[in-house]
Amino acid sequence: MSFFASLSRHLSDAVFEVLPSIPYAPKEKLGCPGNAVEASGLSASARPDGPIAFRDATFAIPCGCRTALIGPNGSGKSTLLRVLAGLTSIRSGKVLISGESPRLGRSRIAYLAQRPHLAEQFPLKLRRLVQMGTYAHHGWFEECRHGDESVDRALKQLGLTELADRPVYSLSGGQLQRALIARAVVQGAEVLLLDEPYAALDQPSREIIDRFLFEQGHAFTVVMATHDPADLGRFDRILEMRDGSVTTRHACSGHDHRHA
Amino acid sequence: MLEPLTQPLSEPFFVRALVAVALSGATCACLGAYVVLRRMAFVSTALTHSILPGVVGALLLGVSPYLGALAAALLTAAGAAWLASRKGTSEDSAVGVMLSVMFAAGIALMQQANSWRDFAGLLFGSVVSVGGDDLLVIGATAAVVLFGLRALHKELELASFDEEYASLLGARPALMRVVLLVLVALGSVACVRLVGALLTTALFVIPAATGVLLGRTVPQVMAWGTACALAGGVGGLYLSYHVPAVPSGAGIVLCCALPYLSARILAPRR
Repeated sequence: MSFFASLSRHLSDAVFEVLPSIPYAPKEKLGCPGNAVEASGLSASARPDGPIAFRDATFAIPCGCRTALIGPNGSGKSTLLRVLAGLTSIRSGKVLISGESPRLGRSRIAYLAQRPHLAEQFPLKLRRLVQMGTYAHHGWFEECRHGDESVDRALKQLGLTELADRPVYSLSGGQLQRALIARAVVQGAEVLLLDEPYAALDQPSREIIDRFLFEQGHAFTVVMATHDPADLGRFDRILEMRDGSVTTRHACSGHDHRHA
Repeated sequence: MLEPLTQPLSEPFFVRALVAVALSGATCACLGAYVVLRRMAFVSTALTHSILPGVVGALLLGVSPYLGALAAALLTAAGAAWLASRKGTSEDSAVGVMLSVMFAAGIALMQQANSWRDFAGLLFGSVVSVGGDDLLVIGATAAVVLFGLRALHKELELASFDEEYASLLGARPALMRVVLLVLVALGSVACVRLVGALLTTALFVIPAATGVLLGRTVPQVMAWGTACALAGGVGGLYLSYHVPAVPSGAGIVLCCALPYLSARILAPRR
């Protein structure tokens, strides 16, 4: 059996030796340019032919600033986050995120949807899900056997170490949400775009995510859509979306959280 | 006592059939893992059925039936994708339209060829007729498909599990879907000789469905699926050898269903 196992291992490794490795996307500029997000006159809609979700938005989010995105349902919070992630194209105006226009294939930006569309009953262990974050630093025709250390660290940070070998479909909503944040950490994201991550979370999961986001300095820029008014005190800045416009209610607390 | 098992092995056609069934069974089981996990069973049915007009057309034109089959399967995939890209047609109905149109075209072409009898093997499979050339085609197809599945394993797994994250990383989930359709088209071409256009889809679905019940990772699903396909394939060949009333294609599919049923009853609940 071990003969067949090692034969198949050698054969499958040989596949990657004959193929060139190609990155998924062009390389990004390094370092934070001062503002993690800079928008001017930005308009967008959820669907290309749909109504405008917000128009003429001008705002900036400094690097390392933790920003709450508030506003009633349908005010365009999700659309704004999807625009920043590069998933939705803009109608007009300009926006830079980490110094570049939004596009797909940026490892330094992580986006977590409000309801992630994951395949049901998919045979995948939690560790493998978190490991998917390392794909950002690989490309086509590469197997990733590296990054296990960063995976272990992220699992520990989000209190998932003991669940690492559990199948994803057996996890609770809160455990899954933590796993997706761990994946973003492994990805090495500097900007986290989170769409109502606390919706339908139990208290323990919520506390772990809180600790991770708010109690380790300004390691990354956070833009989080939220409905919970009790939350707002912990954010450095609040962006309010209402009737198609975006206003900054509260500025970052004076000092510059620029990345090294 | 072992004579019923060893005796068929003295017949060259039976050995060729065993090799063909093993190769294409493993290929389809591995591909089938994605077909089942991505709920593409209907698309795979359409691709396998559309082989019919391809092969008949190729015979009428005097070109290789394998080329005709592949061209027809790719045409079906492209046609369904194009129909579904228009608003108002869901992918499900686009696939349904292509499936029935292609199959009807096959029946019309068979009428042209004026000989229904020759095509029975095409519809229901005939392992007896597997020759050296067929083995070559089946082997080459298996190599291409397994190579592709290995080379793109992490992208296919990611795109099947979390399409949006695949887009965010730039790992092109839409391209992965096309790749998968092309591989399924190739895989069905390899199987059509064995189980026929009508039953090929079973080789994609039944072993992989067994694998999904037993495996906890995608490679495990593929391994269990392959085991099921091999057991069913070999069992089916022996069955149809000893009970001539059972055609080989039907025998293979029926024997694949046994491990599935056992797994369905015995596998731990999720």
